[in-house]
Amino acid sequence: MDRHSRRLPMFLNLAQIRFPIGAIASIAHRVSGVLLFITLPVIALLLDASLRSEEVFALLRKLLSSPLCVVAATVPVWALVHHVLAGVRHLLMDVGVGSELARARASARVVLLAAPVVALLFLVWGLS
Amino acid sequence: MRLFDGQRAWVIQRISALLLLVLIVLATLALPFAAPLDFSAWRDFAGGVLGGPLIALLFGALCAHAWVGMRDIVLDYVQPRGLRFFVLSLIAVVLLGVLVRVLLSLAAVALAA
Amino acid sequence: MKLSIYRFDPESGKPPRMQAYEVRPEAGDKKLLDLLMRLRVQDDSLSFRRSCREGVCGSDAMNINGRNGLACLTALDGLKEPLVLRPLPGFPVIRDLIVDMTQFFAHYHSIKPWLINSEPLPERERLQSPAERERLDGLYECILCACCSAFCPSYWWNPDKFIGPSGLLQAYRFIADSRDTATAERLDFLDDVYRLYRCRTIMNCTEVCPKGLSPSHAIERIRLALLRRSS
Repeated sequence: MDRHSRRLPMFLNLAQIRFPIGAIASIAHRVSGVLLFITLPVIALLLDASLRSEEVFALLRKLLSSPLCVVAATVPVWALVHHVLAGVRHLLMDVGVGSELARARASARVVLLAAPVVALLFLVWGLS
Repeated sequence: MRLFDGQRAWVIQRISALLLLVLIVLATLALPFAAPLDFSAWRDFAGGVLGGPLIALLFGALCAHAWVGMRDIVLDYVQPRGLRFFVLSLIAVVLLGVLVRVLLSLAAVALAA
Repeated sequence: MKLSIYRFDPESGKPPRMQAYEVRPEAGDKKLLDLLMRLRVQDDSLSFRRSCREGVCGSDAMNINGRNGLACLTALDGLKEPLVLRPLPGFPVIRDLIVDMTQFFAHYHSIKPWLINSEPLPERERLQSPAERERLDGLYECILCACCSAFCPSYWWNPDKFIGPSGLLQAYRFIADSRDTATAERLDFLDDVYRLYRCRTIMNCTEVCPKGLSPSHAIERIRLALLRRSS
């Protein structure tokens, strides 16, 4: 870019851009990926602790089934389901399945709806 | 030598995704048939010839997949060179830490058995 | 009809602002461009590019109510008011709705948008079978209006390194051409974390292409061609 372009303004206010459904599914794929990345060290530490002794294992099991933990886990559960479903969508589109616009829109809608539904089901199941 | 791969990273992302998908589907299918987990059964599984490698494979694929994904996010949103290097290093340290922690735990259980 | 239009005057030294307009469409005004031409009579300082007024030249691309499109192909019927017009997102603004396309065209040039064929010239033209010609459908129609690249988040974040949907569609147009013999070199050039692999199939490009083309599909084909080559 030339020197003169650098001083020019640019319109890039994301709040003023109307994003198609595919873009919403895509950014949610990223957000869920970051959430899972943050969850990963926690899972690794839980795995390690659960293998250490009978007492720690029992304590973790009690802790993890507490209502507070179930509610907190709803977020990573949504992230996992959304990330997996959106990932399957991308893998299929990579080889040309559903990469046509109308189908891609429909699958984006399905993924965006399915993940919160599963997370909600998890919440109901965990609290009952 | 290029600093970041194009196709290779893309392929690693897809292969690890397929692997994780298979493991997730298998785990979901096995869940209804699994007995309520107690400590000794869990330890036997994690230290066994099937469970140990499966868990190692799971975390290996998770870390590889997370690296490519997080790297892509950094390449998009973190443009200053110094900051980019710092964030990428941080991500690498976290993922290596996760991998080492899991492998050490599995090794300890396998050796004790 | 009420409009709100992005105004920027480089000589004023002032930051861009939104200006409200009101104009009554006359009989025969079908497209947004008709209305803009009427507005220009009202306010001759309002600047935008336009030429063919029928979706062939690709000059009047802009952000219309939050989505990129060509003013000349956007029907006035069904547009929500106030109609908000802004320049293409992520492109440097020269004046009002006119953006600097230098970088966009530099990416286009980088993919060598011409037939490369080292074989000796035939007596007449290089022939193609109807099937070979058909493979160019959906690729050759691109008018380089930049609606797609200016709606691609990956292009917004790395406009200097990512070729963008438009350039990649053009790249595939020559990869797919039976008369071109430089496929290997073209693929070598594209196998790069920035040039090609910043695309993550958001499909914003295909959503807004005023010619109904699918750059995301062309990119999908390039990735598969690269995969086939290395396996």
